[in-house]
This record gives sequence, structure tokens and C-alpha cells, in this order.
Amino acid sequence: MVKYTLKRILYMLFVFAIMTVVLFSLYEMIPGDPARAEVEALKDKLKPDEYQRAYELARERLGLNKPAYVRYFEYVKGLLKGDLGDSRVHKQPVTKVISTPLKVTIFINIFNVLIGLAITIPLGIICAVKKNSTFDKVVQVLTIVGYSIPVFIFALLFIYAFAVKLGWFPVSGMKTPNFTGTQWEVIKDYAKHLALPLMVMIVGSLGGMTRYVRAAMVDALSMDYIKTARAKGLKERVVVYSHAWRNALLPVITLIIGWFMSVFYGSLIIERMFNLNGLGKLLIDSLNNQDYYVVMGIQLLYVVIALTSNLLSDLSYGLVDPRVRVNK
Amino acid sequence: MTVKQVNEGKKDNKNNRSFSLLFKNLFGNKKELSILEEEQVQSPWRTVVRTFRSNKVAMTGLTVFLLIFITVMVGPLIKPVDLSFSETSQQNVAPGFDLMKFPKSLDGNVADISIGPTFSVAASKDGKLHIWGKTRVSSVIDVKNLPKDEATGKTINMGKIVKVAAGYDHVLVLNDQGEVYAWGNNRQQQSTVPMEVKQLKNIKDIYAGYQCSIVLTEDGRSIYFGNQMNNDYNAFHSYQGQLDKLAVTADAVAGLTKDGNVVYLGTQQNSYANIPENMGKVVDIAATASTIAAVNDEGKVFVWGNVSVQKGEGNIPETSEKIVKIYGGRYHYTALTENGNVIAWGANYYNQANVPKEVQNADIEEVYTGFYQNYAITKEGKILTWGLKGYLCGTDDLGRDIFTRLLNGGRMSMTIGAVAVIISTTIGIIVGCLSGFLGGAVDTVLQRISEVVAALPFLPFAMILSALIGNSMSSSQRIVLIMVILGLLSWTGLQRLVRAQVLSVREQEYVIAARSLGIKKSHIIFKHILPNVISVILVNATLNFATSMLTESSLSYLGFGVQAPHPTWGNMLYGANNSIVIQNYWWRWVFASIVLGICVICINLIGDGLRDAIDPRSQER
Repeated sequence: MVKYTLKRILYMLFVFAIMTVVLFSLYEMIPGDPARAEVEALKDKLKPDEYQRAYELARERLGLNKPAYVRYFEYVKGLLKGDLGDSRVHKQPVTKVISTPLKVTIFINIFNVLIGLAITIPLGIICAVKKNSTFDKVVQVLTIVGYSIPVFIFALLFIYAFAVKLGWFPVSGMKTPNFTGTQWEVIKDYAKHLALPLMVMIVGSLGGMTRYVRAAMVDALSMDYIKTARAKGLKERVVVYSHAWRNALLPVITLIIGWFMSVFYGSLIIERMFNLNGLGKLLIDSLNNQDYYVVMGIQLLYVVIALTSNLLSDLSYGLVDPRVRVNK
Repeated sequence: MTVKQVNEGKKDNKNNRSFSLLFKNLFGNKKELSILEEEQVQSPWRTVVRTFRSNKVAMTGLTVFLLIFITVMVGPLIKPVDLSFSETSQQNVAPGFDLMKFPKSLDGNVADISIGPTFSVAASKDGKLHIWGKTRVSSVIDVKNLPKDEATGKTINMGKIVKVAAGYDHVLVLNDQGEVYAWGNNRQQQSTVPMEVKQLKNIKDIYAGYQCSIVLTEDGRSIYFGNQMNNDYNAFHSYQGQLDKLAVTADAVAGLTKDGNVVYLGTQQNSYANIPENMGKVVDIAATASTIAAVNDEGKVFVWGNVSVQKGEGNIPETSEKIVKIYGGRYHYTALTENGNVIAWGANYYNQANVPKEVQNADIEEVYTGFYQNYAITKEGKILTWGLKGYLCGTDDLGRDIFTRLLNGGRMSMTIGAVAVIISTTIGIIVGCLSGFLGGAVDTVLQRISEVVAALPFLPFAMILSALIGNSMSSSQRIVLIMVILGLLSWTGLQRLVRAQVLSVREQEYVIAARSLGIKKSHIIFKHILPNVISVILVNATLNFATSMLTESSLSYLGFGVQAPHPTWGNMLYGANNSIVIQNYWWRWVFASIVLGICVICINLIGDGLRDAIDPRSQER
């Protein structure tokens, strides 16, 4: 087990290294000269030779005179020290730029995941137990609709219904500008702003998850040990929740881990639509502003999270089901 | 379930019909077959097709999808999209075909009609005012809201109305007492009647243009109010006291003097001021948005100004009859001959210059033309119309017809989805087959690569690729780029499935037999193994198609996919995410959302149905 884990971590590092090369060379391919962009504003103020010197200085300072591979190694060196470079737009270290939106994203997504799980798991189980009933069929149709419709369409519909027509929630933003009040009022203000994006996120993620839980549960319920349990005269509740559900958990656990990991991702579309100051919005804004060190930082964070969640879900198989304990 | 169980179950449910059910179950449910027929062996594919066809939900999905598919593939041939098209006067028009649906009471009763971009105003002979069409010209202004008395809050009684003038987004009316009223957009004071005009008692005619209003008096004077910057009008022009008629373009004013000369009332020396010489005695003038036309007493028409070859305002058709009156639309002219016939020329993309048969046959007394609509009044007083009736799905913020864009966007979305699926399926099959069949080092390397690709968060990475590589690309190159990105990032799932399938059939007898015969490896993989795993690939490709369409729409919606002016269902929603659009211009997002949603739902239904048909075990779920 330990050996396997170590092997996996080593492999993860290898993949991560490849990703840094791929991303770095991608950014190298972009036409444009950051040094020129930096001194462009000075062009009218300075004499041509002074301007040229300022430009040379900027090139020197940004390290553009060195060959690409040297700069790559410098970037990696910084990476090992936890330095992701400087943001061109924010004039701050990338780690600092990322940290606030990351907190916002995690905060929003934790709610999303918890509420989502609280709805989808019971719903999936009920559907599996009452397979082919009217209730099940209705839920099946709704879930197909749910995962077929892109989340921004849900967002448009919800904004139209709840923000525009009914006026229950504000259309976008994190909080009322210049809002002052007691602690409780501030929290209420936050809740009001975040309710609509949360609703959209939850509805958007219900479909796929419910179907997955249901399928796993149907598989588990068709096993022979369930027949045995029923034949023993166990209560249906015990059969479903302790015999079947525990066995259905195995495929579901991957999904749950993936979902928990997604709290770091941030939803690009939701954050942009509702103007939430999260990681996804930062990514879009940075891409639009060509602030590539920030983009690269976020992207590397995503890769790390994806790799970690892969590892965790593989390892969790062993924890949940001793039969598949990996000993390779 | 065995047949016995089925019988028993049904017996419990429907006791009264148990005997007939038993009979049916004993002798075959659907059709009575002889023993020979029943034992006939079906090929697996025929079983799949039969199971699929008996699945009502999947068949509905297939039918609807095919309908949408055929519509978006054939539709663009009938209604091609003009990528450079934009028309400010038709921005954000609501769906509906009521632009020329005049009230019935107006028939045989017309005193005057004036036409705005999407609405028309008329005065009937008994002095009543009628307004119809899309009167909501912006999110706040509705020209149907008549002016109110500020003190009492009641609608002003405007008396017996004799003349009307519809501008770009405001309306002017003149009553029999010589009083002028104006309402609508008042940003440039074009709807605020100045004191000077209020004191006049001899107003002869009123004109409304783009952000401006002009009043013409009996003694030949013109008084202008509204935007002075956009419209080239000189308030101190030297023709005061001589004017008989005015013509207003989108940015200039021309006049016809009482002795039959055309004069330009602006200060600039532009193409409008370049009035043709030797026109003789001019009897009528008219203007489109960018040109001015005059007709002389011999019936000859002259057109000048910013004449566009593409729109063809200057292509006056040959006619043997003498033209006596001329009228200008947005980019077209209509003319009335002395025999009561109508001819039209100029831009024709809304059929505004196609004079219908019934108008050609009728004896026309008067024509009212404006923007893209035309009304002709026959000698009997009947109203005939032609031109722009309205839009099936409304228009967007550049005045483009949403229905046309839906058709063309659908073709684009589906093409992108299909090409992306073809790319990803090809890669998936090749990698999966090689990896599964060859095993060893090849397998390890390919699987590691696949894991790296699978570890990338899809949407952000696709966005970054599109932003970085697509930066310097033209919009049609970008479309190809999006297809390739989608294809290159989504092959891993299929690859794993194919590999697993290949592994499971690799050691089967027919493969061993093929190997022992010394057949080439590539031949074994693609001729012997692949046909046996095709079903998995088919289901996966179908579901992948839906995902690709969704991803494309999400990317385009975020502005990182296909970019305007090329339409796709995703980028038609780009820019719809502010409350003004969501609330006031619902048609800009509702139709694209519905059609995209239905299409993806249908594809998913087909994919699910296919999986059930191919793998009966999955039906248990």
C-alpha cells in the first residue's frame, strides 16, 4: 500500500513536471512582447534613446533576454519555493492574487457540494428502491433534462424567474455595495446574494449525480446477498441502507471525491454570470487581460487538484472495499 | 423474469382479462408466428435495431433530433446568413408578424399614414389616431404611450388629427387647429415642441427623422428641433419662405421650393449638397436613409447622395409610364405613376421593393413608404401592404433576424460537435486498439499520456488553448481550432472503453485463429477485433456528440469559442447575461436556449436508447 502510494506520488510529480513544460511552452508561443507593453506608456514622454534604454531595462528585468529554457528553469525554481511569478495586471505576486478568489470559491462550493450530496444520495436511493415506479420515471426524465441543459441556460431561467420577475434575489454580485449593518445583517445580505448562484449550481449538478447513485444502487440491489438478507426476514430499511448502500458506495465514492475536489475549481460560468469574485472569474479576466502568470498559476493549481483527487479516489477504493486493496 | 412470473403478475393486476392474457402469452404477444419463423435467428444488429425501435422514448428523441438536424442543414440554404449585416433601426424587435397589421377600422378611412422602424402611425378621416406594430422602441419607451398633461396626469386630448409623422423613435402629430404634439424619445428634445412652433397657426406639414422634428408652414418656412449635431441642418438657410416640401435622410434635410427647385438645407458640402443640375421643374422629392431622390414634371427620376451599389437605390427601373410621385423607405424607393401603378427599387432583403400582384393590378391613389414597410391606398380606399411583416423569433442587438441565425448557428454547432466527435473517436479507437492489443511498453506509455490528458480540467484548459492559440486567428480559423481542441481533449474515455473491450476479446478463439494464420497485426486489430467492439464506440460517440455540443456552447457563451459574427447556439447567448436583456428582450435568449436544450436532450435519449438496445443488461438499471 505504502509502496503503491509512493509510486503514484512519484508519477504525479512526473505528470506535473510535464504539465509545466507544456504550459510554459504554450505561453512562449504567444506573440507579443511584455517588455514593450510595459514601456509603451513612456513612449511619448521619453526621448527615443531614453525610451530604448527603458525598454532594454524592462527586458532585462523581465528576463526576456535569456533563452526560453533558462527562464523555464527559473520559473520552476520559483515554483519549488512557492513563488508563482508576478501578475502583470495586479502588480502583485500570483500567490497573493489567487488566494482571495480561492477562498470565495471554496466557500461557495462547499455549500454546493454538501447540499448537492444531501439531495442526490437519498433521491438516487429512493429511485433505485422504487425502480420503474412513476416517481422513478419522472425523476429519470428530469435528470436527463438536467444534465442535458447547459448550466448557463439554467442560470438565465433562474435569473429571469427569481431575480427579475419575482425580485426575491439580486441579479448579481457578492454583496450590496457599501452595505453596513450588524454582523447578522451582513450575513443575511451575503446569503441573499449567494442564494441564486447556489441554486443554479445545485440544480445543474443534480442530474448526473442522481443517475449515478441510482445506477450503483440498482446494481447493488440486484445482488444475491440482498435476496439472502430479505429471505432472512430483515427489515427493508436495514436491507437497503446497510446491505445495499454500503456496497453501492464503492462506485459513488469516486464521484464524491471528485466533487469535493471540485470545490477548488470554481465554476467558470456561474462566477462570470453572477459576477462572483471567485477563481473561475479570475481565470477568465486574466485570460482576457493576457495576465499569463496568473493563468498559469491557476492552471497548475487545477492540475495538482485533479491529480490528487485521482490518487485519493484510487486509494479510497481500498479503504471502502478491502477486496480491491491495491498491493501492486 | 420468466414467462410464468409475467403471467402471474399480469393476472393479479387485471383479473378480468386474465384468460385472454394467458392466451396471448401462450401464443406470442405481438404476432402469431409459426414455429419456423420463431426459430429464425436474427443477426445481433437486427436485434439492436428492433429493440431500439420498440423504445418509444429513444425513437421520439431520434425523430425530434432528425427534424432539427434536417431543418438546420437545409434551412441555411434557403435563408443564408449575411455575416456583415447589421441594421440599427431593427434592433431588439420582439417576435411577431404584426408590423403592418393595421386596425380594420382604418380601411377606407385613411387620412395619413407615417411609418417608423417597427411601428406605424395613422390618422383616419374622422381625426382619430391609430398606432400599430412593435411600439416598444426601447426598454423604456413605448410610442403607444400618448403624451400626458403634467398637471393632471391625464392623457392630453389632441383633437382632430390630420397629419402624422413617425420618426426613428418618436411621433409627431398635427391637428386641425394647427397644433403640434410630439412624444416618444426625447433625449435630444425632438419631442419637445418649442414655443415658436406652438404659436404658429399656419402649419402645413410635419416631418420626423432620426432624433429630429421639422415643421413646415404655409408660407414656406421650416422650423427644426432636435439633435443639431447628427443632422446637417442650417437654421438660417436662405430658402426660408420658399419651401413647399421637405425630405429627411438619416442625417440631412433637403427641400423642394415652390418654383420646383431642389435645395439642400445643410451647411456641409457633402454628397447630398451635390444636387444634379438640369433636373427641370421638380414636382416631388423623397429620401432614404442615405440618398435623396427627385422626380421632375416629365416623370424622370434623379437619385443622389451616398448611393450604394449593393443596395441599389440608384437602379431606377425602366418604365413607359410617367412617374408623378416618389416615396422613400430606409434603403428603397417606391414611385407612383400617373396611371395609378406602383414601381419600387432599391434594397430588397425584406421584400420591401417587391410590389405584389394585387397592388400592380389595383388602381393606386396614394402610397406611404417608410423604413421597410409600404402601404398603398387604392381608389376605393382599400389598404394594401408589402414589405417587412415582422420576425418569427425577433431580432438581436444588431438588428439581425434571430430565426436565420438559429438555423445557421445550428448548422455550425452540429458541425463542430460532429467533427470534434470524429476526431476524438478516431484517436480513441486507434489508441485503445493499439494499447489493448499490443500491451507492454506501448500500453504503458499510451495509458500514461491518456491519464495526463484526462487529468486536465476540461473547460479551463480548452479556454486557455483557445485564448492562446486563437489570439491571432481569423474567426473561421477559430472554428476549426475549437473543433480540434474539443476533439483532442475528449478521447480518453473512449480509449479506456475500447482498450477494455479489446483486452476481453484478445484471447478469444477467432483472434488466436487469425494470429496463427499469420495475418498482419494491424489487419487483426482493425478487421477482426474492431467490428466486435463497434457497439461500445457507437454509444460513446453519440453521448460524446451531446457533450461536445454542450462544451462548444459553454465556450462560445463565455466568449472563448466561436466568435461573432459567425452564429452558434452558444454564442447567440453571449451578451444575454444582464438583467436588461433577460427581462426586456427575452426572445434573445429563450429561443436559442430551447433549441439547444431540446437538441442535447434528444441526443442523450438516443445514446441511452442505443446503450439499452446494445447491452440489454444495462436496461435492468
